[in-house]
Amino acid sequence: MYDGTVATLFFYLFAVASIALALGVVLGRRLLRSAVCLIGVLGSSAGLILVLGFEFIAGIQVLVFIGGIVVLLLFAIMMTSEGHTFEQRPNAARRVMGGIVATAFFVVTLSVYWNTDFPLVSKEGLAVSHEDVHAIGRKLLSNERDGYIVPFEVISLLLLAALIGGIVIARKHDPEDT
Amino acid sequence: MADALLNPLSLTLSVQTSEAFAAPAMSLADRASRALESGVWGAVMYIVIGLVAVLTAVSVLGLVMSYIERKVAGHFQCRLGPMRVGPHGVLQSLADGIKLLFKEGIEPGDGDKVIFIGAPIFSITATILLLAIVPLAPGIQVVDMNVGVVYIAAVSGLGVMGILMGGWSSNNKWSLLGAMRAGAQMISYEVSLTIALLVVVLFSGTLKVSEIIESQQQGWWIWRGHGVAIVAFCLYVIASTAELNRTPFDLPEGESELTGGYHTEYSGLRFSFFFLAEFANLFVFSALAVTFFFGGWLPFHVGNYEGFNAVMDLLPPVISPMFWFGSKCALLIFVLMWFRWTFPRLRMDQLMRLEWKVLLPIGFVNLIVAATIVLTGLYFFPSAT
Repeated sequence: MYDGTVATLFFYLFAVASIALALGVVLGRRLLRSAVCLIGVLGSSAGLILVLGFEFIAGIQVLVFIGGIVVLLLFAIMMTSEGHTFEQRPNAARRVMGGIVATAFFVVTLSVYWNTDFPLVSKEGLAVSHEDVHAIGRKLLSNERDGYIVPFEVISLLLLAALIGGIVIARKHDPEDT
Repeated sequence: MADALLNPLSLTLSVQTSEAFAAPAMSLADRASRALESGVWGAVMYIVIGLVAVLTAVSVLGLVMSYIERKVAGHFQCRLGPMRVGPHGVLQSLADGIKLLFKEGIEPGDGDKVIFIGAPIFSITATILLLAIVPLAPGIQVVDMNVGVVYIAAVSGLGVMGILMGGWSSNNKWSLLGAMRAGAQMISYEVSLTIALLVVVLFSGTLKVSEIIESQQQGWWIWRGHGVAIVAFCLYVIASTAELNRTPFDLPEGESELTGGYHTEYSGLRFSFFFLAEFANLFVFSALAVTFFFGGWLPFHVGNYEGFNAVMDLLPPVISPMFWFGSKCALLIFVLMWFRWTFPRLRMDQLMRLEWKVLLPIGFVNLIVAATIVLTGLYFFPSAT
């Protein structure tokens, strides 16, 4: 659907936006501003997926990550740090530790990138049509060899357990409630 | 969009016969991709025209609907509503708009200024994105994605972000409380909203908005989906009222307890952005209800009563879709306004109980029943006659 210059233009637009905003997430000292930058990062990656033509995945990216996870983050920030707009400056020991962990993660990520072959999928292979949502649905609920019914059900069960666990933990602090 | 405006004949001809619906001369997706592929300027023009059209729609909707709301409210309370500016006060919204433009934009001293300024823009952006997928007439739609329903669910979730940001950055306890309430309420009711829409997706077998309308050629889903679609429609109306923060679910801005809720600290143009987003959302949610349950721009037909259907088709094809879509929308908007001036406000715990203990179980059972009906093909009304 998208071709040549327009796709390239959009790619660089989203790539630059997502790198700049990712820096904003990490370097900012205001927690809520970082969360807002995170919305931008996730939105730009949804845009990158859209440039590839995967509308469904992009939609789910926005729905789950921005509509679910970032809203949860915003709630957590509002509940816990009322009045404290700024994050505390970390002391020297924590800075060193953070630096080591970040460098290690960077090296690991970089080595993975170097050692992985990214095969170029042809334009036809990327063309996503109406049938693809059907295909995803069938694949997700198929119990054949290449179906994903077992992981799907296991994840559903895990989420249910987490949900019940969350309710149990939340109830414990409220003895008045019966 | 541009193509549609230049060549209205190609659109309107396809309205007349039902066969033409299934295979229109050139679908919106084709025209959009042709515009996008014609080079950088084609893409830029497409995006600019689409944005200008939607932005115009947002401002006009804000003007017209705030006037209608005040008039409806007035007559419900046995008064006349705005009467002074222009005949029957028709220029009242215009005067209010000019007043808002000239007002000073005050920023709270200790708040986060960047987020404070960004929040209303975020709010109105979500509305603009949502308005882009509303099909006003065959081909008059800015985006028509294959995954339209996923898009609707994703983008409508963005609106809450502007409210949360605005409430927090105001550094005011009423604003924060209002924003928290709005967040909790909108996230909760979004679940019911999506489940209600999924029923229609099951019936029509597609996620694309234009195809959902085309699937209602033989009858609107509210009739053909027998009881299930009616239950889904009721769920949708309740959930969308909550999503719009309108009475009886207007706790986020409950003026008797929270002054103005999340927009307490906003004034001037920034306040008007929240205001515009709210009224445009009222239109969008009614338009989506019309699209999903009442056949969008399709005229009102009753089964095989040829004479009656012919009378309904009398309007010239140019204005017919606009007329049917507009009148269905107007009716639903009036019903939502009726709610606002009739029902008392709920309490926060009642609101949450209503969603999680009443609406959500009903929604799940309804979805399962719908799936059973679709699987067994147990339609009361035959789909192909």
